[in-house]
Amino acid sequence: MTEAKAAADRLVKVKRLNALLTPVSELRKSLAEQAATARPTGVLYGMPVAVKDNICTLEFTTTCGSKVLEGYRSPYEATAITKLKAAGALIAGKTNCDEFAMGSSTEHSAYGRSIHPLDKTRVPGGSSGGSAALVAAGAVPAALGSETGGSVRQPASFCGVVGIKPTYGRVSRYGLVAFGSSLDQIGALGRSVHDAARVLSVISGRDPKDATCEDRDPLRLPTVPESLQGFVIGLPREYFPPDLDPAVRRACDRAVRLMKEQGAAVREVSLPHTQFAVPTYYVIAPAEASSNLARFDGVRYGPRAEGATDVRDLYRRTRGEGFGPEVRRRILVGTYVLSAGYYEAYYRRAQQMRALIAQDFRNAFDRGVDLLFTPTTPTPAFKAGEKLADPVSMYLSDIFTVTANLAGLPAISLPVGRVKGLPVGGQFIGQAFLEDEMLEAAYALERVVPATEEA
Amino acid sequence: MSVTPDDVLRIARLAELEVDEDALPVLVEQMSRILDYVAQLSTATGSNGLRPFVPGPDAIRFRPDVVNPWPLAVGPDKLAPAFKSGFFVVPKLGQFEEPEAS
Repeated sequence: MTEAKAAADRLVKVKRLNALLTPVSELRKSLAEQAATARPTGVLYGMPVAVKDNICTLEFTTTCGSKVLEGYRSPYEATAITKLKAAGALIAGKTNCDEFAMGSSTEHSAYGRSIHPLDKTRVPGGSSGGSAALVAAGAVPAALGSETGGSVRQPASFCGVVGIKPTYGRVSRYGLVAFGSSLDQIGALGRSVHDAARVLSVISGRDPKDATCEDRDPLRLPTVPESLQGFVIGLPREYFPPDLDPAVRRACDRAVRLMKEQGAAVREVSLPHTQFAVPTYYVIAPAEASSNLARFDGVRYGPRAEGATDVRDLYRRTRGEGFGPEVRRRILVGTYVLSAGYYEAYYRRAQQMRALIAQDFRNAFDRGVDLLFTPTTPTPAFKAGEKLADPVSMYLSDIFTVTANLAGLPAISLPVGRVKGLPVGGQFIGQAFLEDEMLEAAYALERVVPATEEA
Repeated sequence: MSVTPDDVLRIARLAELEVDEDALPVLVEQMSRILDYVAQLSTATGSNGLRPFVPGPDAIRFRPDVVNPWPLAVGPDKLAPAFKSGFFVVPKLGQFEEPEAS
């Protein structure tokens, strides 16, 4: 199939972005093999889909952007991958990401950062930054990413593409290397709402291999609505703070005006516990990560440290040498907040705060709001190195995205304008398992918003 | 400072993570900053006694209790020096040398 060769050529052309971790020769060979056996009746027949490197594939290695899993080949593949292949899609290589999906810029990848397609001095966002950069550069129509605190929507926003994070339990996590198991979901990135949505629809649905995946049929794609008549869109006050980047505010205001012109009713709402979302996230996510990453000890997966004197020494050396600084920090913070004497003060407190954050959303939806609309990120793509020395400032770039993960809700980021040439994303947060409603609004906004024009 | 170098070393031991002497001061400083930042959770009111929120299905569904073949990372042919027609090939017993009696 010539499509396979064309897909490989497009990916090779954007090699400078360092967005793809799969070697070129391996990619070409695999794409040709996959194309020869792809199911011609599948709904995604011939569509190349790049996959974040923390999702297990049989075709390629799965390193999670880490040295600890250098060269690791999984003996099984993720359910999402099986479903993509059954739909006729071609797995177009593995994309760069922050190590174990911990980061917001790809700067924490052990294989070097990815480059923003529009400005090489800037980051593409993260952690699914490689996936976003490839879609933005036109190398693939869609890609898989994963979200724990905004890792699909934030890079989608930075790169000017669409990123969807489904409701927790909509997509099977089987074969997604676990980071924060109560937060993780596989998400889809695409050039358009439709490209991302049809990939999401294919990978969604029940899976007996993941007990946290809901027993539901795959997501049905809505049709593009004539207007937004009948939609009530809530604007959470806390997501438009006084110090919000003025250009981001202008782009969002313009999007809101366009939604009103389409017939949507817009009203201000309050999610009063928003200010506690990032601290809550940075207790829960590291706590879960410290348990999940305990398995990488040099015995079962990946390379093993040399010169160890006994088995504990082997664990410590392998982990000390294999994990990068951000992963080390999160493992230590996670171990600390779970340790005796601190569990109550940090971990239990964060779990209770999570309940309040989820309640905030239920209250807003109970008052007749269908969807919330917010900026995806407080600023457009930042410069490489800008936030590297200060972990807390890096964490704060997730401030508008972590809430949906904490509450398990679906959310989508789509481009709503540009600021000095850099894309700005707007975000809809929907009600649990009402992705179809959220997608309808996104289709309607996408049709009218001048996504590549200055706000 | 909310953590000391000794705290970090103790936590690192619990996490089975080797920490370089050189990296320790920066790690102590960064961990303290992160912990100071998340400590603002203690200023929040109204969360006492709440049940923790966990998304996902309320009840765990069980799979049928049947044995499924578990795929090997590498084929059985790679696990032994010789493999033929689905069997591991071993030397004939008669070819083994009895250990010398001492």
